[in-house]
Formats: sequence, C-alpha cells, structure tokens
Amino acid sequence: MSETDTSTTERTDTGDAQTAALGSTGLTKRFGGIVAVDDVDLAVPEGELRAIIGPNGAGKTTLFNVLTHALAPTDGTVYLHGEEITDLSQEQRPHRGLARSFQSNQLFNELSVLENVRVVVQTIESGPFSFDLLGEGRSQHREQALDILDSVGLTDKREVTAKNLSHGDQRRLGIAMALATDPSVLLLDEPTSGLGTNETGLVTDLIESVHQDLGLTLLLIEHDMDIVLSISDRVTVLDQGRVLATGTPDEVRGDEEVQEAYLGGMREEL
Amino acid sequence: MSDESATNRTGEGLVSGLPLGALNRYKVPIGSVLLVILLRPLVSMEFLLGYGSVANTILIWMLFAASFNLLLGYTGLLSFGHAMFLGIGAYVTAIGLSRFSSSFVLSAVVALALAGVAAYLIGRITVQKGEIYFAMLTLAFGTTAHFIANYNPAGLTGGTTGIAGGAVPAWIETERGLKYVNLGGFQFDWYWLVAAAVLVGLVVLWQIVRSPFGRTLIAIRENKELARAMGINTYRYKVWAFTLSGVVAAYAGTILEINEQGATLSLLTVETSGDVILMTVLGGANYFFGPVAGAFVWLFAEDYLTDFEMLVLPLKEVPIVSLELAGVLAYWQFFLGLLFVIAVLIAPREGIWGLLRDSIETLYDRLRTGEEDV
Amino acid sequence: MNAIPIPGTQRSITPAGGIVWGVLVLLTVMSAIVRPGLFVDQVIGGLVYGLVLVLIALGLSIVLGLLGIVNFAHGALFMLGAYFTFQLMEVWGVSFWVALIVAPLGVGLVGVAIERGVLRHLYDKNPLNGLLATFGIALMLGEATRAIWGGTPRSVVAPQILSMSFDLGVTTVSRIRLFTVAVAVVVIAAVYLLIERTDFGLSVRAGVLDREMAEFLGVNMNVRFISMFVLGAAIAGLGGVLRGAAVGMDVGMANQFIILAFVVVVVGGIGSLFGSVVAGLLIGGASYLTPLYLSTLAEVTTLEFINIPGIGGLVPYLVMIVVLLARPRGLFGQEGFLE
Repeated sequence: MSETDTSTTERTDTGDAQTAALGSTGLTKRFGGIVAVDDVDLAVPEGELRAIIGPNGAGKTTLFNVLTHALAPTDGTVYLHGEEITDLSQEQRPHRGLARSFQSNQLFNELSVLENVRVVVQTIESGPFSFDLLGEGRSQHREQALDILDSVGLTDKREVTAKNLSHGDQRRLGIAMALATDPSVLLLDEPTSGLGTNETGLVTDLIESVHQDLGLTLLLIEHDMDIVLSISDRVTVLDQGRVLATGTPDEVRGDEEVQEAYLGGMREEL
Repeated sequence: MSDESATNRTGEGLVSGLPLGALNRYKVPIGSVLLVILLRPLVSMEFLLGYGSVANTILIWMLFAASFNLLLGYTGLLSFGHAMFLGIGAYVTAIGLSRFSSSFVLSAVVALALAGVAAYLIGRITVQKGEIYFAMLTLAFGTTAHFIANYNPAGLTGGTTGIAGGAVPAWIETERGLKYVNLGGFQFDWYWLVAAAVLVGLVVLWQIVRSPFGRTLIAIRENKELARAMGINTYRYKVWAFTLSGVVAAYAGTILEINEQGATLSLLTVETSGDVILMTVLGGANYFFGPVAGAFVWLFAEDYLTDFEMLVLPLKEVPIVSLELAGVLAYWQFFLGLLFVIAVLIAPREGIWGLLRDSIETLYDRLRTGEEDV
Repeated sequence: MNAIPIPGTQRSITPAGGIVWGVLVLLTVMSAIVRPGLFVDQVIGGLVYGLVLVLIALGLSIVLGLLGIVNFAHGALFMLGAYFTFQLMEVWGVSFWVALIVAPLGVGLVGVAIERGVLRHLYDKNPLNGLLATFGIALMLGEATRAIWGGTPRSVVAPQILSMSFDLGVTTVSRIRLFTVAVAVVVIAAVYLLIERTDFGLSVRAGVLDREMAEFLGVNMNVRFISMFVLGAAIAGLGGVLRGAAVGMDVGMANQFIILAFVVVVVGGIGSLFGSVVAGLLIGGASYLTPLYLSTLAEVTTLEFINIPGIGGLVPYLVMIVVLLARPRGLFGQEGFLE
C-alpha cells in the first residue's frame, strides 16, 4: 500500500475496517503462483455506494468471490459490521446481510421469475436449511416476493420462465434475488455489462433507488465510467490484485498513478 | 420445464376465472387417481396384453421410478444404487414376516426406518462428491447391499434364493394364483390395495416436489453456485433428498414384497438400478409422470414384445417380414436402448412424456386455431 | 506443479498404519507358508485379473480425461473383443494369432462408430448425458451380442503353445496367463511411452489440461479425440481377446468389468494413467488375496466366521469406499478434476 503514499488520494480505508459496513485487512487470494487478490484493505462505511474499477484481470470479481467466501481467502480478514466473518461459509453470509449478484446472468433458469425470488425469500426467512414439506410455501413469502418483483418492475413477468427473459430483465431478476436476501451490504458484479443503452439506464436507476431508498451499502464493479462517476460515492481502483487508490470519483480521476495504470491505457487506445 | 415439475404455476393468469385453475393445480394427484384406476383395465385389453396381473408390478415400478426421479430429475443426482432401497424395503419386510412372525405394518415401518437411516448415512458421505464419484459410490454401496443379502448373515436373507416361504401377511389370500386382501371378512382384489398404496406414494412425492423443500431442490439442480450464494445449504438439502427418495423406494419395496410373496436377490442387482435409470430417462426426467410413463413402456415392452409372435397389423400379406420381426423383437432391449440413446442425444430431460406433451399441445393449438378460422 | 504440495508424498507412517502393514505382511507370510501352491496361484491370478482391469481402465481413463465423458460402453467393447475372437477362431477358423490383431482392430472400428455417431454430440455437455448415452449403448451392444452369439457362455480353444502349463513345484501356471501378463505389460508400457514421450502424447496431455488453449495453439483436437478413443477401444478389445482365450466369455462380462474398471479409475484418481495402473494391480491383488488371507486367518485362529465366502467380489468396492473417504480424489487424482 505504501506506493500510494505519494499520490493525492487518501488511504482512508485502512484502520477502520472493523467499524465499516464491510471491511477487510490484508485480504489475499493465490491460485498456485498467481496472486489474484493481493493484500487488499477495504473499509466501506454504512450507506456508501462504492465502485470498484480496474482493468480486466485486476481481480475485481475474485475480490467479490473472496469477500463472499465463494472462494476461501488464502490470507487476511473480512469484517461485516465490525464482526469478523472470515471463516463464515458462503451460504451463511446472505443470512448475515451480505448478498451479491453475478456478472453473467446466474438464475434458476427453469423456475419462473416469481419462483426464483420466492426460493430466496423462503431461504432467508426459514434459514439455510428448512425441512418444510407442507403446502406450496407460505403466502407471506409469496407476498414478499411479489413486493420485490414490483420494486424492480418485473411484476408483469412473474410467471415467465427465467431463461426466457430478455437480457436486461434477467439482470434485474438477479438484482431482485440479491435484494430478496434483505441485505445490508450488496455486491453487484457489472450489473450493466452486455446491456443496451435503454436497459443500462433502467438498471442504473434501479441501483440508485436501492441505494437511496433502502439505504443499502453497495459495492459495484463497473466498467462504464459514466455510471461510476455519476452514481458512486467513492471509488476503489484495483490493479493486478492490489488497491491502487481509493477516493471520491474526482480524487481518483486526478490521481497520477491511476491515470498511469488505468485511464492512461485507455487514452492510448483512443 | 413443465408445469407439474419446476414451474408450479398456481393456475392464476394462465386459465384465469375458470375452474380449470384447480384442475391444473391438482393435475398430478388427479392424474395419479386416473392412472391407478385405469391401468389394469387398459393392459387387460385384448389387443394389448390381454391379462391384468402385470398391472400390479407395473404400478409398483412406477412408484419406484418416481422416487428415483426425486434424485435424478429434481435434485440432479444420478445414483447407480437405487435398487438398494427397493431391496431393503422388500427384504426387511420379508424378514420381519417370515423370521420374526411380526405383523406386516410393523415390518414395513422398520423397513422404511432402516432405509431412511441407511440413505441418510450414505447420503452424508456421497452427495457432495462430483457426479462421477457420486455415481460410483452409490454403485459400490448398492453392490455391498447385494453382497450382504447373498451372504445370508445369520440365515436372515436366504442367500441366492432370497426369502420365499411364509413371507406373506395373513390377510392376503391366494386363490388360483390370484391374490385377494381379506380385512375383517371384507374381501377385495389385491390390485386395489396396490393401487391405493401406490397412489399414496405418488401423492407424497408430488407434495415433496411442490413444497418449499422441493422448490429449493430444483433451485439447487439448476444452479448450485447461485443457490449457495443465496444462502441455501445445498449439502443438507441433497442429503435429505437422497433420504426421502430412499424411503419412498423402500416403501415401493414393501408393496413389492407382498406382490412377489417374498424378496428375491435380483431386486438388489446393478441391473435393477440400471433399469430404473433407463425407465426414468426414457420416460422424461423433467416431468413428474415421466418416470411413470417410462416404467410403463419398459415393463409393457418386456411382456408385449417378448411374447410377440405374429404381427397383426396390415402387414399380414407379407408374412416373411412379420416372422423376422418376431425373432428380432425378442431382443426388445436393443430397441429401447436405441430409443434411450436417441432421447439422451436430442433432449436428455424430455423423454417419451415430453414428446407426448409436445404433440398434444401442438395438436391442441392446431385445433384451436382451426376453430378460430371457422 | 512444484507449488502444490501432494499429500500422498509425505511418507510418515503412523502407528495405526504400521500395524496395518505389519498385519498384511504377517498374513502374506502365513498364507505363503500354510498353502504355498494356492498362494502362488492367487498372486498370479490377481496379477492377470488386475492387468486385464488396467487394460480396460486405460481407455476409460483416457476418454474421461480427454473428453470428460464416462464411457459406460467401454465394458461392452471389452466384451466384443472376446466375442470377435470367438467369431474369428471358432466360426471362421482363423488362428488365435490373427484374432489377437484383428479382433482389437474390429473393436476399434466399433469405437469409431460410437465416437462419431453419439459421443461427438455430447462433448462439453453435462457429464451425466455422456454417462447416460453410453449406458444405453452398452445395453444395445449387450443385446446385439446376445442376439448374435446367444446368451450362453462361449469359449475358444487356445493354441497349443499357450495351453500348456509351467510347473513351479508348488503349483502349475498356464502359459495363457503368463502370455496375458506379458502382452498387458507391453501394451501398458507402449501407451505410457505414447502419452509421455511423443509429441502426439504431449498434445493430448495439453488437451486434457486445457482444450481451448490447445486448440488455440493449433492442435487439431478432433483428430486426437478420435484416435485416442479408438486406441482406448482397441486396448479394451485386446483385453477381451486375452480374457476370452483364457477363461471364455459371457454377456455379463461387459457390466461386470466396466464397473470394476470404473472402480480402478476412481481409486487410482481420475486423470492419472499411472494411478489406474497402480489401482488395477491393487484391486486385482486384493480381490484374489483377501479370500486366501481370511481363510488362512480363520484356520490359524480357528474362528470360522472370518472366512467369508465370496468376499473377493466385494473387495474392489470396499477398497473404493475406503480410498474415496480417505482421499476424495483417489490415490493420484488431481485437484479440481471433474468435481
């Protein structure tokens, strides 16, 4: 981290990992000889919308995987609202308020839109395992699921099989499912990638409303700089698994090292 | 996916305002009732088999296959050892009846409990392995069960001959090869008890599938990673799916025990486990009634094609062809195997039932558009 | 590779392990002394049996590693090798030595038909589909065999030179068994050299590790798939010729041997040819020696219940359950392979 000392960006992320909504210290993931996530210190305060940016292969998705324990970290500690959760299993985390969406459209393809959300609602309400063999599910779970579908604008499509949805609707359903876990911290992995302008706008609006209306803490991996600059409170730049800089969009934009590593490369392309 | 399996449409919106909604919602139990009532008259028809006794066996195998599909179709687990649970059901019941002179109900309850415990323990150490490892481990446990029955520990299982004598409850009467149930002076055909018992089993499976538990199994089958990320403990769900599937299979085994008047070693063979896989996939693992249809086709073909001697269809004028067919049809498994391979290649989860549904839907659509044209 | 520690390479013997090894050695010595003739018989029997298993397992392992498909029909190919030998020798009157070459080639052709007709469509699909499709093919080949050659067991008359026996003093060993050992060892060594020491083998191994990358580098994986599949089929067919000549054939041998070969592959570790060889010998030996050990033990301790009849048939599965519980990836399996 010392390499960022000379930059204009402050490294406010260290030290307060344990008081943040989501924090990490020294988080590292190695695959054999490759270090995908390298000594990452993170501290995202309550209610912040944090964008994670960085070139392809910077380790952004791996960072999400390690934060959610889809992959066990090689080293380091993860905190959720001040509580250490490093060894908490992946399926336990949504029950503690940490949820995520996936970059590619990961859905329960053969289930209907409503069923997709309802399965998540009933999991969160009844626990990681519930031997509930009666009826067709509680009506309150169904109502909750319908409410969530309403909030993302998928009510009309509730009976459609998930695999038959349009790309943008699939993305919205993915976010709806993450929301159905009633999270306090939500990680969104490139929610707008592969979407058209129109759909991108809808999804961006959805993210903003989730952030403002529900007051969630959000981590957002995003490639589209316009979105990053317009909606995020602060930005963390990853490069080769390390944190290059963290700051407000303007601070990060002015950071020489970031320009060098990231925007610089883009300019060359232009 | 079909309505009765994955997307349990609650009816509304599809057929709004019509009583068809309830019909749609309960079509599996309604279909099951029709099935158990109609199967014997159907196969007894002159141009089919002409005799009804095989209907008992077919019904029991339908339930066995449906229990297997809770694993393959709904949870996505391919077990090569499902015969083990059918065998436990039949053997423990037979042992209770013949060796301990206990009542059928008690023996059957013990059988289901033992099958449940065995399935739970085996499930705990196998379900989280990769597909191939799971298949091989279940095969190994199935072979072990076969070995134990063949080994005849303490003279309980009867070795290669199985258990044949004294293994029928007192309320079963046999007259001229036909079985009757005699409960308190009230006598009725054994078929109807089989029908009722299989109906109960099918409805139980249907309830499991449509329950929150069953929905979660489908979610796990569809996307394990997502299920975990959404807070589902996939391991425990799989273990319990394996356990429930094993218990229902054992339940089928207890009925089979009376039907066959004992337990035979062939129930525990790898071939039995293989047959149930073939039936399920051939019938259509995607659908509740898929394995039921598969079991019917398989067992019907076994009886119908093996006894096939002359082709009565309009080919009479070409007798040489029909004669040759008879010889070839003795190897009916070859053709079902071919059908099976084609099914796996084209639509591995659809099977005969999926094909049937598609054609009926197409036909229905055509009829309806035809009406509108008029 | 050097960064990944392999647990099995740490050779620290625990007290419990020491006791197990001690008991095994003691039993071996005891059995050899009490019944030397039977002991040598069983050792050679286990070796022959294990090597035939390895011949089937090799093809299975190659196809599984390369194509990600569990070829259930591989046992049927083994069976066809035996029945082709019967057809060639007893029906067409061809000599055994011709059958030894022609039958495996014929099985290889059947392999081409299966690969082109069915398996080709299943690459990169759910591995369950490959398992199911080949399960259906195995059923078809079994029924076809029953239709053509009948359901009763068949046998062939081995040539004069192989039907004689060696006298080892304590027992006699038929030459066909030693011939089986010799052929199997040569074939296994040849496959090893092909995979490990040739450019062709290098490209195949690259394909196993990362097919997309290998294709990107200009390797025509299709040609390699077919040739490896045919090679695997032919080797299984050769196993069938040897087995058929030594003990005869029946329709049940397909299922019996495919399941055992699977066990061998799983115990050895999926993706490891060396593991398959070790596991094959281990399981062959254990299947033949366990009954002897138990009966010796029963005789010495006069505890008759230890002598379990037919235990040999169960041993492979017990070995597999134990190995998989202790080492989930098998003896030499790689991390993350088909999990």
